[in-house]
Amino acid sequence: MAVGQAILLGLVSVVMALGINSVSPNSIGLVGQYRSLSNSEGPIVPPNAEDGDPQFIDINQAQMEFTLGTATFVDSRDPEEFVCGTIPGSVNIPFEYLPEFDLEQYLDSSLGYVSHDEAIIIFCSGEECDLSLHLGRNLQDLGYTKALIFFGGSREWEQAGLNIQRRQDCGN
Amino acid sequence: MRKLIDNDYVTMLSRLIIGLMYIYASFYKIVEPAVFAKSIWYYHIVPGSLINIMALILPWLELLCGLAILIGICYRGAVLWANVLLVVFIIAFASTIARGIDIDCGCFKAGKSATRAAWKTLWFDVAVLLCGLQLWFSRSKRWMLSGH
Repeated sequence: MAVGQAILLGLVSVVMALGINSVSPNSIGLVGQYRSLSNSEGPIVPPNAEDGDPQFIDINQAQMEFTLGTATFVDSRDPEEFVCGTIPGSVNIPFEYLPEFDLEQYLDSSLGYVSHDEAIIIFCSGEECDLSLHLGRNLQDLGYTKALIFFGGSREWEQAGLNIQRRQDCGN
Repeated sequence: MRKLIDNDYVTMLSRLIIGLMYIYASFYKIVEPAVFAKSIWYYHIVPGSLINIMALILPWLELLCGLAILIGICYRGAVLWANVLLVVFIIAFASTIARGIDIDCGCFKAGKSATRAAWKTLWFDVAVLLCGLQLWFSRSKRWMLSGH
């Protein structure tokens, strides 16, 4: 009897889950397109990273957050590089052009006033660029508790065969 | 011991603990399936193609089991699921402790505080499982809409 009831509960759960997901504004795809974790080597961490820095994440976690839409991606490079190719949907906050005054207001506004406990993934071009580290530290200091740094950046993203958004043809 | 297991009040208390816990746990997962999918991803044990479907179905199963245990409909089936899910969760959680993964941040941490919090959660789940086992073996049928 218990097994029969368990099967019934399982079937009702499947029907409810699929039914509600098809009409929910927070619906997700039935089959997630995630990268295999089997060959993960962990996140790239720059040599100048310090204790207390925002968490560094690898390409697998960045791609998972991208697929689920659970994070805001922030490209910390100059606009000239941003338009040549970035992670789709990213916000451009060039670290070099951060204002000296009203930084908090500027960042809150640039990020569309997202909640301070939502995931924000900061990146730049790759290992030679540490703008993401500095911007990540700024965001963390301003109370963004889930500032994450994807140090592999747009290059690792592209090398992994993931989509790049190009607003301008820069010959790359 | 048998008397204690069959006691109506002890059984009702266990039903309240497990039923309310499952209903409470299911709520945010149903509302925010993407956030729950992320939590499953952090365990690094579920194949990627199964993560989303699991994130969609599990919360409903938890909600239905919680309601069924509280009300007393499809009771044995719900208790069976509740115990199976708890065992699976305990194994999965223990494996993250063994591998040094901090589920909160999804990162690998050797810090003792993270491990201590994880152990606390694990022991809590083991205690809830004991309530679940009590329900499985209890012969009490009081305050149930449709008996066993």
